[in-house]
Amino acid sequence: MIEQIVKRDGRKVPFEIEKIAAAIFGAAQASGGQDRQMARELAEQVKEVLEATAGDQTPTVEQIQDTVEKVLIESGHARTAKKYILYRNERTRVREMNTRLMKVYEDLTFQSSLENDVKRENANIDGDTAMGTMLKYGSEGSKQFYEMFILDPKHAKAHREGDIHIHDLDFLTLTTTCCQIDLLKLFKDGFSTGHGFLREPNDIRSYSALACIAIQSNQNDQHGGQSVPNFDYSMAPGVRKTFRKRYQDDLAKALEVFAEDEDNEVDAKALTERVERQTGKWACLAGDNGYDEAMAEALSETLDPQAVQRCLRFARKYADKETRQATYQAMEALVHNLNTMHSRAGAQIPFSSLNYGTDTSPEGRLAMEQLLLATEAGLGNGETPIFPIHIFKVKEGVNYNEGDPNYDLFKLACRVSAKRMFPNFSFLDAPFNKQFYKPGHPETECAYMGCRTRVIANQYDPSREIVTGRGNLSFTSINLPRIALRSHGDIDWFFEDLDRKIDLVVGQLLDRYRIQAAKKVRNYPFLMGEGVWIDSDKLGPDDTVGEVLKHGTLTMGFIGLAETLKALIGKHHGESDEAQNLGLEIVSHMRQRMDQEAEKHGLNFSLIATPAEGLSGRFVKIDRERFGTIEGVTDRDYYTNSFHVPVYYPIGAFEKIAREAPYHEMTNGGHISYIELDGDPTQNLEAFETVVRAMKEAGIGYGAINHPIDRDPVCGYTGIIGETCPRCGRHEGEGVPLSKLQKLGLYRDLNSTTIGYHGDPAEEADRRPNTLTIVKDQERK
Amino acid sequence: MENKIMQEQIIGEGVGFERIRRITGYLVGTLDRFNNAKRAEEHDRVKHDVAASCSLEEHTA
Repeated sequence: MIEQIVKRDGRKVPFEIEKIAAAIFGAAQASGGQDRQMARELAEQVKEVLEATAGDQTPTVEQIQDTVEKVLIESGHARTAKKYILYRNERTRVREMNTRLMKVYEDLTFQSSLENDVKRENANIDGDTAMGTMLKYGSEGSKQFYEMFILDPKHAKAHREGDIHIHDLDFLTLTTTCCQIDLLKLFKDGFSTGHGFLREPNDIRSYSALACIAIQSNQNDQHGGQSVPNFDYSMAPGVRKTFRKRYQDDLAKALEVFAEDEDNEVDAKALTERVERQTGKWACLAGDNGYDEAMAEALSETLDPQAVQRCLRFARKYADKETRQATYQAMEALVHNLNTMHSRAGAQIPFSSLNYGTDTSPEGRLAMEQLLLATEAGLGNGETPIFPIHIFKVKEGVNYNEGDPNYDLFKLACRVSAKRMFPNFSFLDAPFNKQFYKPGHPETECAYMGCRTRVIANQYDPSREIVTGRGNLSFTSINLPRIALRSHGDIDWFFEDLDRKIDLVVGQLLDRYRIQAAKKVRNYPFLMGEGVWIDSDKLGPDDTVGEVLKHGTLTMGFIGLAETLKALIGKHHGESDEAQNLGLEIVSHMRQRMDQEAEKHGLNFSLIATPAEGLSGRFVKIDRERFGTIEGVTDRDYYTNSFHVPVYYPIGAFEKIAREAPYHEMTNGGHISYIELDGDPTQNLEAFETVVRAMKEAGIGYGAINHPIDRDPVCGYTGIIGETCPRCGRHEGEGVPLSKLQKLGLYRDLNSTTIGYHGDPAEEADRRPNTLTIVKDQERK
Repeated sequence: MENKIMQEQIIGEGVGFERIRRITGYLVGTLDRFNNAKRAEEHDRVKHDVAASCSLEEHTA
């Protein structure tokens, strides 16, 4: 007689035959059965078999389940048995996942990020902090929840096994990726952060402060990044308002000094109001709109000509100077804020990007110039700012050639990038960007998320092919090398299987869109509640966001084109024209499929050159286990990023640019190409600019130049550091005698909490020139 | 003399160098934050010569 059973955790509980009957009935129901009595009889049989086999021993849950299966099969209930086995397997999987999740939590809790790769999945998050770890608990837990209960099992399986990768899976049911914020629209009449209302800003310092707050607030509503697509145009009104205010203040001072006016502030205000009314203009930076002349006339009513001239000269001189200073301070504060303001429970700073370069107004130009100078100067101790990502928009006739109104800013952008790795450069003349460009409409200038995401075309609403208020909804990448490995060199099979994977990704993106579409405005208090996302200002708090989200992109990505080509034909596209042609065929096929899906669904399906960070090692690890170590394919710890020529392959800068450029046109959801420069490019700005120009001429959409920026926090040396620091001579981890640092004039404050370094008077002189030379005929070009 | 050496303060023991690198579009202040795969990738990066023998025209034509 069985009285107890042993549960999986070892506890003994009373035996209940009803539970067995219920499980059998459940399985029978799933295959169409309805006979409760039969289930009861089968349970009795199970009990008898158990009593016969177990003897005196208390049976375990596993033994009971084995017996149920046996009885069902032997009594001819094959379909019920099958359902029962499936149910049991599913329960086993859930149990194992729970155990695995607890193991992940254990590692997150007790291992540092140095030991734990999961904590370093995203380098932007500090996994060692309390909030960083909490974020990882949530992220790992939600991923497993979605895998078990939300995702279509075929999508879950494809993701689990590494055929595809669903990016930001932890946010599957929560939000969308990113947004290009229209600051001017947001600032107009003020906005609320959900915790307080902010008036429309009236000074460049408030403009920059509010820009940071907008980026931070929106970041909390999305899992990707935040971009300002036209930062120059967005800051220009702030500069304009600042100049106007300073001009009035300085006129007041001038009136006291040169006209002995006791009531100077009141008079300056009255004069300003009167002249503004008469001319319909404000005092402006350029001084070319007739305001100064009108003011001179107004002043002449009470002052002699000499006093008038003195007052005007004084007002203009100091308003100009103060506006420049205020703008520099505003931009400096912005750079500092974007490197220190926390978002997402304090685990990271906002992933911020600023696009600029084309505003030719004196105010917009000043904002850009001061932003670049603040970035060049660096943070408090001269460190390179990590954020924002700067994207300088290169455009012929605006800033590309000598004589263009913003050519000086292009040169400055090159100089700053040579030192700080930002700005990156986007190219509005690339044909696929130029097609949207309408002069005088900054919202039609293609912008990029810093990471590379690009959103401008609009299948859903072709009349709104603009950057502002739009972004990516979600993206999923295909493991291209896996398909190549499985094809055994059969190109036709490769394309057939690629199509199957594309179908899978399209279905998954649509599923995810449907979840996102059912969300309400109140789920995104800033993004939707403050009208940042396009047309969301027309919705109420309980309206669903599905319709306005259609302006966003649904994006498929890919990784490892180089390894794919190696697996297919033994060479990658950096080393063979045949491989390049095949590579172009593969990527253009993926793009065509996305275009077809866009047309079919009226949604913005696009193709992105995946920015693989967490993904870079995941696919190859699974593939190496499955296919072994294959030279050029699975023999490294990462698959090459998107369509890039492998980072390890020696190739000239111009050749690399030429090889990668055609893929930019195909990847309408985003792309970037990198060139790695040796040495210190600040010593050879000509070479730096030549590379940028080569990108533009080759039809690259978005590019950046990498060079090593090392820094020794002890002596503050910034540049290239090999084994030892070129300034103080120490090895990594070694100490330096205080007297030596003092001799170098570097260690001024012994009680400082920061190590040693306080400014860097010797930095420029210490920098080593690079070895770059430019071939003559390229120089001419 | 010996006393003087005893008193000499040593600054910066255990302090590493910062190596700022780009990772999928953004910069990271230290390689410590990179995941294992990205570390391997960063390690493998080679420089691209600007003085390559190929001329610009060939590839932009």
